[in-house]
Amino acid sequence: MDNLPLPLHKLAVPGPTLASMIQRLSSSAADVDGLLFGHVTYIAPSTLPDDSAHSSPVSQLLATISGFLCFPSLLSFYDSLGRVDPSRLSSTTHLIGWFSSRRKTPLRPSIREFCVTRSLSSTPNLPLPIHNSDPESLFAPSIFLLFTTPLQDQFIQTNQYRAFHFQSSRPCFNPLSIDVVNIGPAFRGHYGSFSPTSALPFLSCELRSLTPMNEDRNEETLIGMKQTEKDQSLLDTCAEGMQVGRLSRLIGPEATNYTSGLEDLYEKMLLKTESLARLVEASSAKVLEQENHDRKLRYKVARSVGVE
Amino acid sequence: MSFDGFPPFISAQLHYLVNHFPERIKVEQVLSGGKTYAGGLDRFTLLIPYCLDYIKWDIIYNAEFPLAPPDVIFGPEDEDFHPLHMTGSVGEGDLKFQNILSDWNHKDPTRLLALIQELRDRYVAYQKKRVGEVDDDRLKFEISTICSREGIEMQISSGAEKPEEVKFAVPLMDMNINKMVHGCPWRHPQKIYLQVIYPVGKKYASTPSPPRLKLMSTTELRALFSIEDVKLPSWLDGMCMAEYLPHLEESLQKQVVEAVSLIDIRRRFIESLAPLFGRPLEADPVFCRKATFLASSGSFVFLVHLLISTQFPKQQPALMLQSSQHISPQGIPKKSPLLSEYPWSPRWETSQMAERIFDFLADESLNFKRFCSESQPQH
Repeated sequence: MDNLPLPLHKLAVPGPTLASMIQRLSSSAADVDGLLFGHVTYIAPSTLPDDSAHSSPVSQLLATISGFLCFPSLLSFYDSLGRVDPSRLSSTTHLIGWFSSRRKTPLRPSIREFCVTRSLSSTPNLPLPIHNSDPESLFAPSIFLLFTTPLQDQFIQTNQYRAFHFQSSRPCFNPLSIDVVNIGPAFRGHYGSFSPTSALPFLSCELRSLTPMNEDRNEETLIGMKQTEKDQSLLDTCAEGMQVGRLSRLIGPEATNYTSGLEDLYEKMLLKTESLARLVEASSAKVLEQENHDRKLRYKVARSVGVE
Repeated sequence: MSFDGFPPFISAQLHYLVNHFPERIKVEQVLSGGKTYAGGLDRFTLLIPYCLDYIKWDIIYNAEFPLAPPDVIFGPEDEDFHPLHMTGSVGEGDLKFQNILSDWNHKDPTRLLALIQELRDRYVAYQKKRVGEVDDDRLKFEISTICSREGIEMQISSGAEKPEEVKFAVPLMDMNINKMVHGCPWRHPQKIYLQVIYPVGKKYASTPSPPRLKLMSTTELRALFSIEDVKLPSWLDGMCMAEYLPHLEESLQKQVVEAVSLIDIRRRFIESLAPLFGRPLEADPVFCRKATFLASSGSFVFLVHLLISTQFPKQQPALMLQSSQHISPQGIPKKSPLLSEYPWSPRWETSQMAERIFDFLADESLNFKRFCSESQPQH
C-alpha cells in the first residue's frame, strides 16, 4: 500500500528552493542533513495521437519539493544504524524524503544513507496521498537527495547533487532526474499548480441586514464577544492590525470600497509577514549562538581522547 | 605513515587499523569535510587488499561529531552491497555487526579495525553470492568443488568494454613459511596465491577457453623465493581446479623448501669470502642476499658489494665496486656498473668460487681505479 508500482518519473524543485538549500549547505561548518517536504502528483498518460514518437504511454508520478528543514547535527532523526525514530517525525506532514550533504565525498549513497532511506520509506503514518489520484494510493517518503563537493576543488566552488528514488522491493536506489523550475515562459504552466500552504483562516460569516439594533446585539452579548475574539485571533495569524469587523465591509451591500478594503487587507497581511520575518531573524541568531556553543563543546570532546 | 592533521580520536583508530590489519592496508585521499580546515582531516579512502587486488572504500568521519561512528561508501561497481541488510545471513553475525555501530566508542582505537574487518568479511560473502548467480556451468562446478578450501576469495569484474570475468584468488600451501626461516623479520605471514581468471562462458561456445593463471605472492617473500622463476604446469583441456591445484602445490612446496635450504648455501659462500676479503662490513644475516667488503688495491681503497640472487649458485653473484676516495659532483660516491660477466661455474667448491672472484676483482679494480680518476677533474 505504501509503494505504488507506478514509477516516479521526475523530481521538480523550484529554483529558489534549490538555491536556498545549497546556500544553507555550503555555509554550514560540517556535514548536514535534513528533511524534504512537498507533494506528489499523478500525471495521467497523454492520449493525443500526435504526440512525439517516444512519449511514454505509462502513467507517471511527479514529485515536487516545496520546502526543506535542515538539521544542525548528524544522527538527528535516525540512530547510528540508520533506523528512523518515528517520534521525532510525528508532527511532520508532506514529508516526501530527505537529503544529505557531505563535502569532498563521492556522489554515491553510503551505508547509513541507504539504511535511513529504507527505514524512512517504511515508517508507518508518514506516506502521503497523491494528488490527482484515488485517495487510497499513498506515497511513502522515499526520495533521497545527495549533495557533495568534488574531491579536488580549490578555486572554484562546485556543488554536485543527485536525486534517487528508493525502491523497497529490491531494495535499491533508482536514479531520479531533477527538473529545476524557474520563472520563465517555459514554466508558465507551473503557476497554475501553485497552491497556498497557508490559506486565510475560515471565519464564520453571516450576511445580515445592517440595522443598528443588530450591531449592538452582536457586540454586547457575551457569546457574540467571545466569537469576535476568536475570529480576531484567527485573523491576527495572517494580518497585523486588521479589525475583524472591517472584513464584513468587503461583502454585501457595504462593499462599495471593495478595492481599497482589499488593498488594506493585503497591506496588513504584508505587515504581518514582515514582523514574522523579524521574529525568525531574531530566533535564528539565537539558534546560531546555541550551535556555536554546542560546537565548542564537541571540540572539547574530540580532543579529550587519551586523557582518560 | 604519519597521520598529522587528524583529530586525536580519528588518528588513534587509523593508526591501530594500519598496524594491526592482517594485510597491508593503504590510506589515500585524506581530506577535510569542514568548511575550513579548523576541524581537521576527517575523511579518507582505504585501499583494502581483496582478491589479489585492492578495493577502495571511502571512510567518512565527522570532526564536528566525534561521537558518531564513521560512514562508509563502497566502490561504484558494488551498488548492491548492503552489509546491514544481507539476505540469508542471519544469526550472530548480523548482531555483532550491528553492535559495532550502535555501541560505537570513539575513544576505543580498535573500533575502526573491527568495523573494516566485519565489512570485509561481508564483502567476501557478497561476492561469493554474486559469483554463485552467474549462469555458467563450468563456474558452478568449480565453485562447488573448490569452496571447501579456506581463504578463497572471488570477484566478478565486468566493464563496458571487457567481457564478464570471474577472478579467483586461491591461497596455496598451508605451510607457515615465516617459521621456516631462522630469525625471520617478516611482520605479516607470507603467502603464495594462484590467480585464476575465468571468462564467463557464452552459451554457444563449444569448448570453454582455459582460464588465465598467474602466481602471485606477498611482496616480502621475494627475499627468499621468487615466484617469477616458477614455471606453472600447463592446464589441460577439461581440467578443473580441484585436479590442477594439488600438482602445483606439491611442486611449489618442494621449491620453497629448496629455497630455504639455499639460505645456508649462500651463508657458507659469504663466510668463504672472509679469509680472502676479511670480515664483511655488512651482510644480510637472515636471507644472505647481500654482503659488502672493504678492499684495497695499493693505496686505492674501495668497497665490494655482492648481490646474491635466489638462483645462486646457478646464477653468479653480481658485483659492484664503490670507491671511498672519489665522489661525483652531486656528492655520491663513484660506483661501478653491476658486474655479472666473469668466469663462473656452479660446480666449483665454495672456496674456489671465492678465489676466482678475488682474482677477477684484483684485475677489475685497476680498471675501476682508472675509471674513477679519469672522470675526476684534475686538481
